[in-house]
Amino acid sequence: MIMASTLTGAAPDSNNVYPPTEEMLAKPVDEAATRRGAEELRETWKTPKGFRYLTAVNNSEVGKWYALSAFFFMMCAGVLGLLIRLQLAVPGNDFLSADRFNQFFTMHGSAMMFLFAVPMFEAISILLLPGLLGARDMPFPRLSAYGFWCFIIGGVFVMGSILFGVAPNSGWFMYPPLATEAEGIGSDIWLLGLSFIEVASIAAAVELIVGVLKCRPPGMRINLMPLYGWYVLVVGGMILFAFPPLIAGDFLFELQRSFDWPFFDPERGGDPMLWQHLFWIFGHPEVYIIFLPSIAIAAMVVPTAAQRPIVGYSWIVLSAVGTGFLSFGLWVHHMFTTGLPSMSLGFFSAASEAVVIPTGIQLFAFVATLMVGRVKMSLPMLFIAGALAIFTAGGLTGVMVALAPFDWQAHDTYFVVAHLHYTLFGGMVFPLMAGVYYFYPFFTKKTLSVRTGRIVFWLMFVGFNVTFMPMHFTGLMGMPRRVYTYPSVMGWDLLNLISTIGAFIVAAGFVLFAIDLLRPRGKQPLAARNPWKAGTLEWSHNVPEENWGSRSVPYITSRYPLWEQENIVERMDKGRYYLPDAPDLKRETLVTTVLDARPIQCLRVTGPTWITILAAVFTGGAFIFPTFHWYPPAIVSGGAAIACIIYWLWTATSQIPAKDKEMRDVGLSLKLPVYASGPDSVGWWGVWITMLGDATAFASLVFGYFFYWTAKPDFPPAGTEHALAGPLTLGVAALIASWASIYGARVVNRKGKVATARTLLIAAPVLAILGSGLFYFSVAGSGLDPTSHVYPAIIWAVMIWTIVHTGGGVIMQCYCLAGSLFGKVTPEHDSDLWNVTLYWHFVCLTVVVAGLTIGLMPRVM
Amino acid sequence: MAGTGKNEETKTLAEEADSLWLITFAGSIWAVHFLVCYCATAVICAKLGGDAAAILMLRLALGGVTLVALAGIAFVGWRSWLQWDFLDDGDYVHNLARKEDRHEFLGHASFLLSIISFIGVIYVSLPVLFLETCQ
Repeated sequence: MIMASTLTGAAPDSNNVYPPTEEMLAKPVDEAATRRGAEELRETWKTPKGFRYLTAVNNSEVGKWYALSAFFFMMCAGVLGLLIRLQLAVPGNDFLSADRFNQFFTMHGSAMMFLFAVPMFEAISILLLPGLLGARDMPFPRLSAYGFWCFIIGGVFVMGSILFGVAPNSGWFMYPPLATEAEGIGSDIWLLGLSFIEVASIAAAVELIVGVLKCRPPGMRINLMPLYGWYVLVVGGMILFAFPPLIAGDFLFELQRSFDWPFFDPERGGDPMLWQHLFWIFGHPEVYIIFLPSIAIAAMVVPTAAQRPIVGYSWIVLSAVGTGFLSFGLWVHHMFTTGLPSMSLGFFSAASEAVVIPTGIQLFAFVATLMVGRVKMSLPMLFIAGALAIFTAGGLTGVMVALAPFDWQAHDTYFVVAHLHYTLFGGMVFPLMAGVYYFYPFFTKKTLSVRTGRIVFWLMFVGFNVTFMPMHFTGLMGMPRRVYTYPSVMGWDLLNLISTIGAFIVAAGFVLFAIDLLRPRGKQPLAARNPWKAGTLEWSHNVPEENWGSRSVPYITSRYPLWEQENIVERMDKGRYYLPDAPDLKRETLVTTVLDARPIQCLRVTGPTWITILAAVFTGGAFIFPTFHWYPPAIVSGGAAIACIIYWLWTATSQIPAKDKEMRDVGLSLKLPVYASGPDSVGWWGVWITMLGDATAFASLVFGYFFYWTAKPDFPPAGTEHALAGPLTLGVAALIASWASIYGARVVNRKGKVATARTLLIAAPVLAILGSGLFYFSVAGSGLDPTSHVYPAIIWAVMIWTIVHTGGGVIMQCYCLAGSLFGKVTPEHDSDLWNVTLYWHFVCLTVVVAGLTIGLMPRVM
Repeated sequence: MAGTGKNEETKTLAEEADSLWLITFAGSIWAVHFLVCYCATAVICAKLGGDAAAILMLRLALGGVTLVALAGIAFVGWRSWLQWDFLDDGDYVHNLARKEDRHEFLGHASFLLSIISFIGVIYVSLPVLFLETCQ
């Protein structure tokens, strides 16, 4: 995965010094230089005013919008929860119709998961990470902004459907055949709207992973990284492996909804179980994707509350990574009652019990830290304490339902509803609330009211238990989930009424919290700079607010720099450290090595723009129009989105610096190159990580193919046609040749043979188009009818997936050719070529696997 | 010197490649073992579910796979224990800004992960030990 080191056109400078000596750091900075640097930075990082405020891409702005939108969707979903509770308050209630009730519980779950929990993690991380890492911004600010605009468009579309009474109504997991057969556009809204939002999630994951790996401050080795960074890394990795199976599932599902390809229709060889597998391969890791970042907040609050370093740093890293792995072996525990072989159930039951170990370890590490420290019961710590209590209760019922025989009894009853709310409130909501109280002074430079906060806590804590504790009993008494009403004779009346009362107490807590969160604070004095006396870098922030993130990027030698490195804040303020100024008025941040955080590049990051909004609007069109079967506008919209993205990349990324600006003096006698390509550049890492997710989605499709083979005796059906061997082989060969051409172009371009490189860059797209055509013909010309049976349908799906990727590859190859012709790609500045070649490595793999799967496998089977 | 930082990246990664792989190995062995158990059982139960001999073979084979997986994890654990080098200096905190701390930290973390993965493999293989039929 690590390729040879690359040249960037800048020779190493022997006068460079790193690491800085204490003497250098102790040297006072000239007052005038400090003032000048601050003015330059202020000018460079200023947030656009008025109408143009929307073009901001700075992490502090985008993060705030993201967090507030996710909070808004959470309140909407909360209102749905209240309405559900009102309907169930008394037996035989007719407050809601059955259909409306179905829409409400479907949207309650979907919105809480997709519009609140995951985006909230992304929002908080985008807000926090640069602060934690002493960086100016995330490596791809426009990508964050694009992700946010996709999220808000998709979220409003999905959430808004409920106002028109057409919301999805088949449960948040959309099981076929109920969801495939559902009338109206509800299921399509769910599939397309949420797929769109998943794209935003993956964009955020890429941003966060690259941010943690490459934008740490100099000296922050991997063993000194704040625990929050470790969690972000693990969760980002999990998103990359968990979301793609769902996207692959959505792809198949929507093909069935729109074009009647029978992936989940047993009458034509399909199998509804495939959806359950794909959904839960996503769905269970999702639980941990929500839980881990919230626990990460606890890992920041607990050491501060105890006023000492965390106990068992390595143990917490172990438990985060271990949970990440194990959480992928749990998905079938949502499917214990589907009739899988009991031996298979045993594997998943065992893994579900095993995951308790790493989960427990981190909680013990927190308790240990609190025991050996001098705890101040601050408001955030109160919420953490509540979280530990509630989560432990949820974890214990989890151990119960992870046992298959118990689950057969409790499955689809209110016991499970109680369990999942205990884990999510304890594992997500309470730690998040702690985080909001803890980080509010960092986000806004003001504080939330402590008195109100305590009332909020007790309303939520008491209300929560009053709501969900009785549900354990209603569940054990047999009340099924998702029923819109129940007869009085069942004896569930009182428990349900108590739950409803509790729900309103929780809601009161949230309303009070929202008022305190959003009320104007014009007259309130500014918060202290480090109000909790914390030790991590984000508390070196500027009060009153400055937009530059970090006044100068510090040199880090400890886990808690504010506790352990004397004078660090003062030196940061004076601009003693790296990047104390911005003489060119360009937004910059430092890029460092993955393990030891040695500075290697001064990265120019992008600034305010409309193009990300436009790109998001058109991307939205490409996903939303198909809901109504309006395909021509969808295609136009998709094309416009691609055009916007090309414009954005061409005008703002991998810009070649002027001849005398190749190296930037970043301060402390260190000069760093401005341009980087290959594995040194953040873009390359971004492509690598994105394609890992893409490969996972493709693997899920191939999994589907083999799933049918395992589960269905008539796959492939007797006497069926197959993909045409001749054209398929030729097509695969042409696409491999295209990959070889782009790879060759990168190699010869680096050697300075620009003309040869251009010839290869012309050959590459021609070969790719030819190969894609042959690939398409091998299926389309074979007489395989995708609506007749699942076998031709999955072959068509694999083919479409492949040629969409080769098509994208053609655009990228042309982009490089244009780059070479117009001077954006030169032998010394070739990061576009590196990134496109990397993309093509993955495409080549996809093509070969797809060719073997649809060409060779059926003939062997 | 930081001017050679670009080579530095490759050099440190090459130096630490072993320990970076090490940190993922134990978990990956668990994942592969899990997948082999799940897939083999799914295929055999679907295609030859009623055949007692086939299921016995399956259980014996998975037992073998389990032993191999456990041996692999034990090996990874031993390697990471050496890298952690606890008995040499008794360091389990690794909070200093030194190469040695980074190196030992990675060893420590992967040692702990091997323990978890070892337990995980044992858990997952229990059904093979106890269940005699697919249903």
